[in-house]
Amino acid sequence: MVKDETFFAWLDGELDAEEAARVEAEVAGDPKLRELAAQHRSMQARMKSAFDTILDAPVPESISTIARKPEPQVIDFAARRARARPAWPSLPQWAAMAATLAVGIVVGTMVPQRSSAPVEVSGGKLYAAAALARSLDTQLASAQSNEADRIGMTFRDQAGSICRSFTEARSSGLACRSGDRWQVRGLFAAPEGQAGAYRMAAGMDPNLAALIDSTISGEPFDATGEKAARDKGWR
Amino acid sequence: MPFEDELTALLPRLRRFAHALARSPSDADDLTQMTVERAIRSRSQWQPGTRLDSWLYRIMRNIWIDTVRSRARKEKFEAPPEEADSIGVDPTCGMEASMDLQRVMAAMQRLPEEQREVVALILIEGFGYREAAEMLDLPIGTVSSRLVRGRAALLALVGA
Repeated sequence: MVKDETFFAWLDGELDAEEAARVEAEVAGDPKLRELAAQHRSMQARMKSAFDTILDAPVPESISTIARKPEPQVIDFAARRARARPAWPSLPQWAAMAATLAVGIVVGTMVPQRSSAPVEVSGGKLYAAAALARSLDTQLASAQSNEADRIGMTFRDQAGSICRSFTEARSSGLACRSGDRWQVRGLFAAPEGQAGAYRMAAGMDPNLAALIDSTISGEPFDATGEKAARDKGWR
Repeated sequence: MPFEDELTALLPRLRRFAHALARSPSDADDLTQMTVERAIRSRSQWQPGTRLDSWLYRIMRNIWIDTVRSRARKEKFEAPPEEADSIGVDPTCGMEASMDLQRVMAAMQRLPEEQREVVALILIEGFGYREAAEMLDLPIGTVSSRLVRGRAALLALVGA
């Protein structure tokens, strides 16, 4: 007797040729299975044709108008990156770089080569590197004492990726999971005089707060959710 | 194709998915509107060259789940929903939705959320098991067993 999952995978065209032929033969020789296949095909056709009426219906104007709206003035990293690209004359110190970045975009070829830099560029995208990447991978906001990097909030963005805000020696920012890495979505220099040990007293950078606000979907993770997410590799 | 054009071209499909998830046509259009707003707001997070439809379906599904959960939290402290709600027919939707559409929407509402999203993506939207599993962040085996249960329930509800 063919398993339910296999039977329906066959019906949905999900099996490879060999397995499909085997199920096909079994169904052909079993009137009950033939009947079941026919019932499900017809049920699906009814569902589909009822829902498909929406494809032909006009889209309400309230919806089609917003889809055409020009991009709102939120922080658009891609556009800023494109504008920023030609401008860098030399390789600055990391601190100076961070301080120069209005909303934190680094230029492809200009990234510090030293291995302790907190970010690196690959394929035109900015990723957390070295100690910062390790902190994002392992550190729980609910259990940090004297680590150099501090993790703030962990949450999912609107496309479902996990994001974490962080504060490191001279900057704070937001990184979101992309494959096995942390893509930096924004990086903000600590105001003059608030680097190092005093930075925690300053509260969150308002630009970072705005970025989190426009990125987050739902609620931030609590301690249990944060730990569970880490245990599942931030998927 | 520019982002706005591609998004506009996908609106009918997004609305169809919203109708498969939501409990009434007006909720479905609210869901579609929220999805489009969010997509516009976070368009810099979409990677050109990847599929825009999967990205949009994911956004819609996440908003829908958030809405369902916050509604569930709220209803815990309120009177139980009206009978009309629990049998899934929205008395206000008769104007716009055909009888057929009302019936299938009501049937979808009887499915648990985790079966409903799988049925909507695979049976209605026509995605493969693997694509649906990726959008939902689920193992493919989980998707296929939820689909089996969802199909059996639907057959009983709407008939062949």
